[in-house]
Amino acid sequence: MTEWLRVLISAALAGLLGLDTVQAGQFLLSRPAFLGPVLGWLNGCPLEGARLGILVELLYIDFIPVGGVVPPNGTAAAAVAVLAYSCGGIAPSLSFFIGLAAGAAFSPAEYRLRSARSAWGGRIEAEVNSGVFALRRWVAMAMLTENAAMTAYVLAGAGLSVLLARVPGLARLYPGTDFAYSLMPWLGLSGLYFRFRAQIYKKG
Amino acid sequence: MLFRMFLRSFFLQAGWNYERFQNLGFAFMLQPALERIYPDREKLKAALLRHLQLFNTQPYMASFVAGNIARMEAAAAASPDPAAALRSMPGVKQALATSFASIGDRIFWGRLKPMTAELCLLTWAACGFSGWLFTGIDTPVPFWLLLAGPLAGIVCYSAFALYWRWKGLEIGYSCGGTAACGLDSADWRRLIRVLSAAGFALALALMLLAFGMMLAANCFVCGYPELLLKAGVVLAVLVLHRISRAFGRSVFFAAGLLLAVSLTLFSVLRLGPFNLYL
Repeated sequence: MTEWLRVLISAALAGLLGLDTVQAGQFLLSRPAFLGPVLGWLNGCPLEGARLGILVELLYIDFIPVGGVVPPNGTAAAAVAVLAYSCGGIAPSLSFFIGLAAGAAFSPAEYRLRSARSAWGGRIEAEVNSGVFALRRWVAMAMLTENAAMTAYVLAGAGLSVLLARVPGLARLYPGTDFAYSLMPWLGLSGLYFRFRAQIYKKG
Repeated sequence: MLFRMFLRSFFLQAGWNYERFQNLGFAFMLQPALERIYPDREKLKAALLRHLQLFNTQPYMASFVAGNIARMEAAAAASPDPAAALRSMPGVKQALATSFASIGDRIFWGRLKPMTAELCLLTWAACGFSGWLFTGIDTPVPFWLLLAGPLAGIVCYSAFALYWRWKGLEIGYSCGGTAACGLDSADWRRLIRVLSAAGFALALALMLLAFGMMLAANCFVCGYPELLLKAGVVLAVLVLHRISRAFGRSVFFAAGLLLAVSLTLFSVLRLGPFNLYL
């Protein structure tokens, strides 16, 4: 399998599993902890994929998708991080921080998609009023647009990572990113600890 | 009918938008029930339009509301005065959606979801995989083990969510019509307390385990001062996170600060390499 075919399949898989975040299911199949090793395996680096995935997961667990909040997207973060490492050839530590940024940057795109769907309300009502009850079509359209957006975003992230990998002197950053990366498990674990500790003190 | 609604409940959030939130998904979920209740197309149209209005709740708990509303629609269709029977529906729907959103957010997003990450790490630790903590070590690990961790959390979480999705529909449909329908189907307060305690215990266990693993990995290869320095760095990370939380900053602030300091020390000032794990 060529490199770019693998990237394309990875992006499509991220787009498909990304639907699980909001649009369909919510079985947590889109969580970075699961997506990381799967994409890592697909791209020949399952261990680093798992590590990137769980670290993104630990940091992103801090955000709760209540109400209309659009939290940073863990699927985009894990997919871009794994592809930056496997196809861009960037060190895992820097790939991780690129992934974190990519996940956070997906939020405005998600916000726009949700805002754009606000206009659907009137159109769906008009359709139902005219006697066409094809809600299934609108549901499918919502999922298709989300899927396409995520796939395109991950592909763009992978492409930008390849370009970034060609920047001269990038390796000079690695000692710094390596050390920061080694601290991330602790940051994630402390997030879990403080979250549940606060809940205990609030008494449910 | 309930089974078809159950299957469609997985798409409740498809079409989520800022104007009417989950309206499309909710109407889509109710459609099988409405088609059975209203064979007449005009009445079906009116019913669908009723449920294309604003709706928002926690996705796993929406089943309670949908079951309730399906029963109310059935009762209204059978009533001699459907308009009067439907009058209380928006209020009941809103009250249930708000109550179950509050319960569901606390149980699923606030507790169970973080616990899946804890389960993942504990599964890995139990199987002897420590690569999630030792970022610089690349000992080969079988793929099944890498997947077993996240799958352990996903299976437990999804089983619980599926149970409440189905049970919610059943309970909602059986007691439909009241604004308190289903709210007493479990001791939610106790469940939330138990989950908080379990989550805290697992988090504490993970912290102690990770600390022990770090000390064990270092104690035979570096001297006492270096060991203390490494433990101090870890504690500093915890304190930094605690302080950033106290000031209402997200984890990104702490991660960004750590990255900036690390880059300054090791990439700009080029201090000698310092590894937490040797």
